[in-house]
Amino acid sequence: MGDLLLVENLLQIFGGRERTYAVDNVSFSMPDEPTIISLVGESGSGKSTIARIILGLLRPTAGRVLYDGTDILTQDRGWNRKFRSEVQAVFQDPYSVYNPVYKAERVLKLVIRKFGLAKNKSEARALMHEALRAVDLRPEEVLGRHPHQLSGGQRQRLMLARVYLIRPKLIIADEPVSMIDAGMRASFLNILQDFRDAQGISTLFITHDLSTAMYLGGEIIVLYQGRIMERGQTRRVMNDPLHPYAQLLISSIPTPDPRKRWKEELSSNRLQEFDPNANPGRERCLFAERCPQVMDRCWDARPILRNPDDEDLHDRGREVACYLYQ
Amino acid sequence: MSGSALLEIRGLSAGLQGRRSITQVVSGVNLDVHGGEILGVVGESGCGKSTLAAAIMRLLVLPQVLQSGTMTMRLEDGKTVELMELPDNELRHLRWRHLSYIPQGSMNSLNPVLRVERQMTDTLIQHGLSKKEALDRSIAALELVNLDTKVLQSYPHELSGGMRQRVIIASAVSMRPALIVADELTTALDVVTQRQILQELAAIRDELGATIILITHDMGVVAQIADRVAVMYAGKIAELGTVNDIFEDPQHPYARGLIGSIPRESGQRVEGLQGEAPSPWNYPTGCRFHPRCPEVFERCNQHTPTLQQRAMDRWVACHLYDAETEFDG
Ligand SMILES: Nc1ncnc2c1ncn2[C@@H]1O[C@H](COP(=O)(O)OP(=O)(O)OP(=O)(O)O)[C@@H](O)[C@H]1O
Ligand SMILES: Nc1ncnc2c1ncn2[C@@H]1O[C@H](COP(=O)(O)OP(=O)(O)O)[C@@H](O)[C@H]1O
Ligand code: SF4
Ligand code: SF4
Ligand SMILES: [Mg+2]
Ligand SMILES: [Mg+2]
Repeated sequence: MGDLLLVENLLQIFGGRERTYAVDNVSFSMPDEPTIISLVGESGSGKSTIARIILGLLRPTAGRVLYDGTDILTQDRGWNRKFRSEVQAVFQDPYSVYNPVYKAERVLKLVIRKFGLAKNKSEARALMHEALRAVDLRPEEVLGRHPHQLSGGQRQRLMLARVYLIRPKLIIADEPVSMIDAGMRASFLNILQDFRDAQGISTLFITHDLSTAMYLGGEIIVLYQGRIMERGQTRRVMNDPLHPYAQLLISSIPTPDPRKRWKEELSSNRLQEFDPNANPGRERCLFAERCPQVMDRCWDARPILRNPDDEDLHDRGREVACYLYQ
Repeated sequence: MSGSALLEIRGLSAGLQGRRSITQVVSGVNLDVHGGEILGVVGESGCGKSTLAAAIMRLLVLPQVLQSGTMTMRLEDGKTVELMELPDNELRHLRWRHLSYIPQGSMNSLNPVLRVERQMTDTLIQHGLSKKEALDRSIAALELVNLDTKVLQSYPHELSGGMRQRVIIASAVSMRPALIVADELTTALDVVTQRQILQELAAIRDELGATIILITHDMGVVAQIADRVAVMYAGKIAELGTVNDIFEDPQHPYARGLIGSIPRESGQRVEGLQGEAPSPWNYPTGCRFHPRCPEVFERCNQHTPTLQQRAMDRWVACHLYDAETEFDG
């Protein structure tokens, strides 16, 4: 079987004279079987831009996105309709999705009507209750309320209830839990896992928060300045990151355990960070100025993303863009 | 409590002024802040952390209002001052010399048209330092946060978020305050920068002997650098203890829920807290946690539990422990 989603050599350059390489030659795929892939990176690393391109909201400078084998920019209207129902987006604060004039459950009713999911009112009602319960919402907490009367966590789970009704094949979730409190976060992530295991729904999960990605499991893609630095199974990458940037990132997670505190001071390369005149260009390793293991060749050409040379480091799907392994 | 606290807060209440009445947000907080400690204050968003922080500084702005309580601060010379009774001009002087407040989101509040040097030295000069003294202090403070003095010549937009936050911290510590209250200091930053800044903050505590109240919703952050933790729920302190005690043996059901919802290992599933935190307009009666509490029993929805000492450095506000004899130490 082919891939559900194939992202090929995406390039997104913004701006005129001050060009920003938001996404710089990014390729990855999501298989046909239900999976969760986390796309992680710091602010500005290009995560949301990738999401917008996949959703067809932004036409990339170069590269393409295939969904189920077809370029998403196809003009076929029937195909576009299918794409829009099979791929659903969940954003950071879904407040804007709701119309404040109507009751919050309208987002469910509209879907039921649009897809003809219920024959009559009582069937529609039963279906709404089922969807709410699937996302840990008590119907009486939500029904009859306006969007502003719900908390961020409730609004976010209501979006998942909507997704539950639509049964898409793929969810693109951009920072869906960063506004939700820790206490509720686990519940939201559990639902995504249940969707994968019980409904066969895949998720591309975008986050700057590595502990969330770790909790979700599946696969992880680590972005830095628009490029993929490392990818592989989340558990393997988190326990044993290979790329120096991934190592720095993972060792900086504030572990919620006072007995596992950071040991050494993180040296900060203030001076290097603050040199507006230095412009080493992009045909190099973009992490070179911060890398403790930098070598001469790191400045000369960009390292490509591939399996490490060392056979011992081969595990399923692990790829690194770093000369230490090439 | 001990008589040696740097700051002794008793019965502190603050609320929101409405047209007819005040809605209480922070209710009767009792808290001793020890000299030289980093005290983490945690809780879900909206539980009143920022209101408490601003109340401690007496920097609430309408509609936020202080309602009652006392806050006694011990100064270097051993004298004490009652912050609640201090007239504004003395308070201003004290705030400037001894207290320092870094509000939530302050790294975005730098003036975009002034170079960092002006922003850092202007207030120092206003408070009577010479230009030279002000610059010297600013440079020393920048060093504490590992910033090169080149940033003095920069405008805010030329700096990364982490650098702007460091400028804010440097300004806040340039007068070597005894107490620093920092609200969500690293929330907007990536983990690497967050780690550097938190480590710098700990170093500032060591070097200046300052006391730090660190307000955050991030349990990882408190686990990494706090000495003690106050867990807030719906405007009250639910539990207070050393960081190890709170993480290893939380006693208040809310603290247990909060700690229990932290994922620890990949693939290990945890259940979150059920339900939602209430807003100040509908704080429940009795124990404010009772509608969500898995261990709720008869007396909880009527009687308000008070913060009781259960061990040397451990305070809990929960009826589960009512029957037990009070700690006698
Ligand atoms: N429409 C645009 N015009 C110009 N630059 C843009 C535009 N959209 C994004 N960028 C720039 O592209 C880069 C990547 O932005 P993007 O929003 O994808 O980052 P992100 O990884 O989602 O960050 P965050 O974690 O802050 O959401 C940034 O430098 C950003 O400023
Ligand atoms: N200036 C204000 N105007 C209206 N409501 C406010 C204001 N400040 C705080 N609140 C409300 O008071 C409650 C506590 O807020 P806050 O102290 O900011 O909580 P936290 O910092 O724990 O997130 C929230 O319900 C918040 O919406
Ligand atoms: S390629 Fe070179 S600079 Fe880049 S991460 Fe690897 S060792 Fe460091
Ligand atoms: S007082 Fe009662 S409701 Fe409140 S936390 Fe304790 S057991 Fe739960
Ligand atoms: Mg984004
Ligand atoms: Mg706050």
